[in-house]
Amino acid sequence: MAPRTIAPFGPQHPVLPEPIQLKITYEDEKVVDVLPAIGYGHRGIEKACELNEYPKNIYLCERICGICSCIHGITYCEVVERLWPVEIPPRAKFLRTIWSEMSRTHSHLLWLGLLADAFGFESMFMQFWRIREKVLDLLEMTAGQRVTQSISVIGGVRRDLNGEQKKKCIEVLKEVRKESEALIGVLANDYTVKARTVGKGVLSKDQAIALGCAGPTLRASGVCEDCRMQKYQAYGDLEFEPIVETAGDSYARAVVRARETLQAIDLQLEALGKLPAGDINVSVKGNPPANEAIFRSEQPRGEVFYYAKGNGTRNLERLRVRTPTYANIPSLLVMLPGCELADVPIIALSIDPCISCTER
Amino acid sequence: MIENLKEIKKDELLSEVKKYADAKARFVTAVCNDLGDKLEVTYYFNASPGMEMSALRIAVGKDEEVPSLTGIYLTAVLIENEMKETFGLKVKDIAIDFGGHMFLAQDSPVLPMLKEKKEAAGEKGGE
Repeated sequence: MAPRTIAPFGPQHPVLPEPIQLKITYEDEKVVDVLPAIGYGHRGIEKACELNEYPKNIYLCERICGICSCIHGITYCEVVERLWPVEIPPRAKFLRTIWSEMSRTHSHLLWLGLLADAFGFESMFMQFWRIREKVLDLLEMTAGQRVTQSISVIGGVRRDLNGEQKKKCIEVLKEVRKESEALIGVLANDYTVKARTVGKGVLSKDQAIALGCAGPTLRASGVCEDCRMQKYQAYGDLEFEPIVETAGDSYARAVVRARETLQAIDLQLEALGKLPAGDINVSVKGNPPANEAIFRSEQPRGEVFYYAKGNGTRNLERLRVRTPTYANIPSLLVMLPGCELADVPIIALSIDPCISCTER
Repeated sequence: MIENLKEIKKDELLSEVKKYADAKARFVTAVCNDLGDKLEVTYYFNASPGMEMSALRIAVGKDEEVPSLTGIYLTAVLIENEMKETFGLKVKDIAIDFGGHMFLAQDSPVLPMLKEKKEAAGEKGGE
């Protein structure tokens, strides 16, 4: 038996924008064991949410993560609205959906760029991020901010779209779709990309379910589960079918995200076309009763779970946030053993790890 | 109100969880609440395929041990370590035990999620 070596992968590594460490045990060039270590950036946001009043927690939850900020704010509002309960106007539901799908589009484009970067395809990386800029510009135009949009309030949304903005969104989204489709075609059919991802980090359907995976990591293993199937917000009025691949490898996870990028643009275009007239929020006064509620929505990385418990006062008794990367980290314990050491960065990247989400 | 919630005794936990595993349900997460003299833990599962959720709830004394789910659902390893270091939940036989320092550092607050923190003088770290 060859001697075993333990090497740290991270917490600082070129493919990891955020700190997580994988303690990799390998024999020759083969990985035989892995132990993830987190805790480099824990912020105690759940505890902080018990100390603030309900509306102020929106700002905290939006800062759980920069990329998923918008959906964190929306999901917090959705779970708190269920404590009263509060029904928000149809236009607000559509607007939440549009901004959520814009977030998914820019998040997936960001990840596709990072994947290209991980191969050393610098030009493709820059092209994906160039397209992504257009989505960020739309977010800035409609929400006022590129990163932390802060559009959700308890009872609806903060901002509306006027006719001109709607027209601009449709025009730019069509451009983004066309450019993304062309670039995704190159990425998905490239020999090197396939050589580095096909058959790497395979997760079977049964393993994905048993390990509680979420989002593209789960759907790339043939499991048809997506929170949008619950038809919350405007999803019940839109043409939506979860995107599923069956190979369960790093390539399948990339393909799911690529197809979801295009699907997210289609959902935005459809929602913009069907945007109903009316109010964008309802007034919510007082404190919610002592009650508890859960709400799950589909982040770019998968299912985010919010639990809220009210106690009749201005403060929450408890808020729990389970983010998709939190669910996907254990899958690395199965994906990595048996792989070549050189494949570790791509496989780790293939779950699209978001550590700031994990370490709320 | 939580739908499809079943309150059970601690001794029934593993056999009830096994039923979910046999039905190929996906473990979503667990939520711990400090009830004062007790800790309440709710385990959430998603029935695959589909998005129907159900939950099991136990309430245990703060000094009582709770069996780990990691023998059935390995993915519970993170949440069990988190509940252990932030609430002091005594989880027995976790597959990977981070020793109270998965999220919390040596100089972090002690059991920070408890409503009345245990302010043991000089005590540091997760647990």
